[in-house]
Amino acid sequence: MIGERYDHELLKLAVETAMKAGAHQAIAKLVEKKNHQIRFSNSSIDVNKEWVSYHLDVFLSKKPTFSLTGKIDTVTIQDPTSDKIKSILPKQVNHLDSLPKIKFYWGMEEDTADSYPSLDLYDPGIERFHNKAPKLVKTTINSAEEAGAEDVAGVLHSKAKKIGLLTSYGNGGVYKTSHCRQTVRSFCDEESSGQSVVVSKNLSDIEKKFKKAGQRSGNLARRCTEADQGKPGSYDLIMSPTVGANVLGNLLNGANPITMLGGMSCLKGKMNESIGPNELSVIDDPLIEKGMKSRPFDDEGRRSEKTALIDKGEFINMIHNTSTANLWRFLKLIKLKFWKRPTSTSNSELGQIGMTGTEENPRTLLPSPSNYRFKAGSYSLEEMISSSTKPTIYLTSNWYTRFTNMREGEFSTVPRDAMFLIKDGEIKKPLRDLRLKGNLLDMCEKIEAIGEDLKQIKWWEVDTPTIIPHIKVKDCKFTKAKS
Amino acid sequence: MNGRTLADHAVDYGKYIGADYVEARFIGSVNENYFCRNGKFLSIQKKPTRGMGIRVLKDGEMGFGSVDRLKEDEVESRIESIVKMCELTETEGSIDFSEEKIVEDSWEVPVKIPFEDISKDEKREFIKSLDKDIKKCGIGKFPFRSKLKNRILFFHTNSLEKYIVTSDGSRVNSEESFISLYSILNAKSGDDKEQRMIGLGSCSGWEWIEEGNLREKIIEQSKKLVNTVEESQNIKIDEEFDVIVGPEVSGIMAHENVGHPSEADRILGREEAQAGGSFYKRLLGIDDEKGKIRIDEQNYKIGSETISVVDDPTIEGSPGFYLYDDECVKAKKRYLIKNGELNELLLNREFAERFNTNSNAAARSAGYSREPIPRMSNTFFEPGNYSKEGLVEDVDKGVLIESFTEWNIDDRRFHSKYVGLESYLIEDGEVTNKMVKRPSLEMTTPALLKSIDAVSKDYEERMNFCGKSDPMQPVKVSTGGPYLRMRNIRVG
Repeated sequence: MIGERYDHELLKLAVETAMKAGAHQAIAKLVEKKNHQIRFSNSSIDVNKEWVSYHLDVFLSKKPTFSLTGKIDTVTIQDPTSDKIKSILPKQVNHLDSLPKIKFYWGMEEDTADSYPSLDLYDPGIERFHNKAPKLVKTTINSAEEAGAEDVAGVLHSKAKKIGLLTSYGNGGVYKTSHCRQTVRSFCDEESSGQSVVVSKNLSDIEKKFKKAGQRSGNLARRCTEADQGKPGSYDLIMSPTVGANVLGNLLNGANPITMLGGMSCLKGKMNESIGPNELSVIDDPLIEKGMKSRPFDDEGRRSEKTALIDKGEFINMIHNTSTANLWRFLKLIKLKFWKRPTSTSNSELGQIGMTGTEENPRTLLPSPSNYRFKAGSYSLEEMISSSTKPTIYLTSNWYTRFTNMREGEFSTVPRDAMFLIKDGEIKKPLRDLRLKGNLLDMCEKIEAIGEDLKQIKWWEVDTPTIIPHIKVKDCKFTKAKS
Repeated sequence: MNGRTLADHAVDYGKYIGADYVEARFIGSVNENYFCRNGKFLSIQKKPTRGMGIRVLKDGEMGFGSVDRLKEDEVESRIESIVKMCELTETEGSIDFSEEKIVEDSWEVPVKIPFEDISKDEKREFIKSLDKDIKKCGIGKFPFRSKLKNRILFFHTNSLEKYIVTSDGSRVNSEESFISLYSILNAKSGDDKEQRMIGLGSCSGWEWIEEGNLREKIIEQSKKLVNTVEESQNIKIDEEFDVIVGPEVSGIMAHENVGHPSEADRILGREEAQAGGSFYKRLLGIDDEKGKIRIDEQNYKIGSETISVVDDPTIEGSPGFYLYDDECVKAKKRYLIKNGELNELLLNREFAERFNTNSNAAARSAGYSREPIPRMSNTFFEPGNYSKEGLVEDVDKGVLIESFTEWNIDDRRFHSKYVGLESYLIEDGEVTNKMVKRPSLEMTTPALLKSIDAVSKDYEERMNFCGKSDPMQPVKVSTGGPYLRMRNIRVG
């Protein structure tokens, strides 16, 4: 079970050892996690996987009292023990002296947190879940095939983590979190496919959810056989939650000081401007219990809080950690904007930059989103379809979103799986082989309707868990291969 | 027990508890990253890690697990767990591996200057000076204002030792070393903005900085970006043009349009819920997905006779260099397309067995916690006989696309799009100084490959990280190549 190796005393030892060795600030984060995964294709299981890790990340800083910036480093101790901590950390603190000041490091949370919210993020059943996972995969495959699929592919992933945190300012605590997620993709033939995604923090009704996902993907695949080549041109667009999470997720990723600094955000210069309709509101929500990345505190031990990013169409906040908030405050000050005093939004995370994803890549303290949560609108999907008097395309899935220029938000993305043409308020026929070309800001402005059906999306093309409904956008451009 | 003896123990223990096949891969790795914006560091990090990946076959089912606690009891418990997971599958498993030559060997990346011989100060100063040189490329009339306003440099080194042992009796040791620079440059001139991402890298030591002419290459690309943002014009092209693409563009085409569809696991559907399938499935007429696949002995013409596309991991110094893959199979050069005909797929042992042949050593994993699957290494159009000038002189009206920005391709690798960045109009056999703003090629793979009528002898290297699988496995690959001339293309 998760927590068997976890030793909370190591956090205290790590912070004490670091401070005694001369660090001015320290964060110790102990993570024990177990991942299970089944991958399947051609309606049978390809591989069962289990990967387990237990490590201690220690963020260290030397920040002289009168200096605005400091020297920082993060050390990871795999399979941590008292002896390893006592041997490694003092050397690592000394090593800080040989590093330059990091001009982008402006401190961490120093105030003591009063309390943390109590969140129900863990289902112990998920740890035993892999024992019945093969049967659930078969249930999914069967329901997809009953709905018309010829073959079915997908992934079922479950994860349980125990996380402990202690900072040199006494902040932190411990919590367990777990989730499972499934992607199921059904095929009737090579070019007729449908996909459905399930994300769940617990196992309640899980079999029913998987069956439904299988059925939906099978249905979509069956409905898009004999699709016509789409004609390029301008259409209104209905984005499924899967598509919206990818396309609009790229916009929201720009509400981050790191992407702004890197010239990779089209939201730069748009603060306090209207970028969408009144009905569009999005928050970064680490407190929603069904959110895959929910947490009671961030990696500086700050109490988690919700942050409105877009409110009634207006871009009003970026996410921040303490360092970027202090840096931004300084930048506002030198521009004589004294009244603008950004604060941390409790989004600090020991995350990876660059080549991400494997255990080998180093971590550093960065602002990182928790769960993007859209406010539900008032439209049902049926209403969106029936009110479509102009030619409209309904996209159920997409992939490979790439930018001509991230700063401007110019992109194209490739529809994948079922895509339908809607005319005169009805789905007329399935289409294939089109490409959506657009601009993130332009599309955001042209949002015409927001659905009532919130769904959490996390899959291969969506990194940040996103709770989002169907969204309709007018006048979008579709292209196709010219030769 | 050290990592190697523990890997040997893992194989013995797996066999002892009834696995039909066991493979253990120990990796000790050191990653060093420097992330710099406009000459100031956002982070400087060094991270050593050690871990082991273990793969088993049991009754035709496959299990994979990894550990980072390198102790006997931990390894034994993981093997028991993954063998049990295979048993729980309760299906008629049919997974098997091809028979391959048993090897005991070792190999290493040749390194003249190990990374640890260079101090952090020296590395830092090098990156800062590089940024300064890039910044200078954007300085025009006003000495304090660079048109390259936003410059991100991500400098990375990796040294690793790897030991792979299989229950077939193969054992391979390797010592590897990799160095790369990935940059994101933003250029602005008036209201015009352009963004450029450039990846350069090599399997070698610190000497690559000098020998690979890193500074000169980045400065050259930076100057070209500034020129592009200043000079590019919207030029309407509404007729069929000839297009010449440079090494960077031909490299990404080789990777996306030829390399990916050649991956055998995609052809047979294993990546269908992630990185997608392959249009080769229909091309090859594959309908028997469960049993052994036989490719009919007919010619699959896929491009013009002028082209051959190679995936070659054995090129010393290249980003995708290796001499044995992650299943202990000896690496070799692979002709994916030979003279316009499909010639070879990218195979690991699992898919070699499905295709009733031998592995051609394409099994790679991104780390100890990831399973080995078919991947590319250095994929490129094989250079031809033309000079760059020779390609151009036979073009009346055309576009030369030296670099690209946006690109994408559908998940069967059939419909692709490439948007040019540094692009010039060609008129009457000469490259003019008229720059075309963001010309776009939106083409099917067969149309693209059949349109090529000439290939240059010049070759230029690019490095990238290729993503595939779930969980994600980024592996280093080469995406460079020669110049290609494509006839009668509709440019958007």
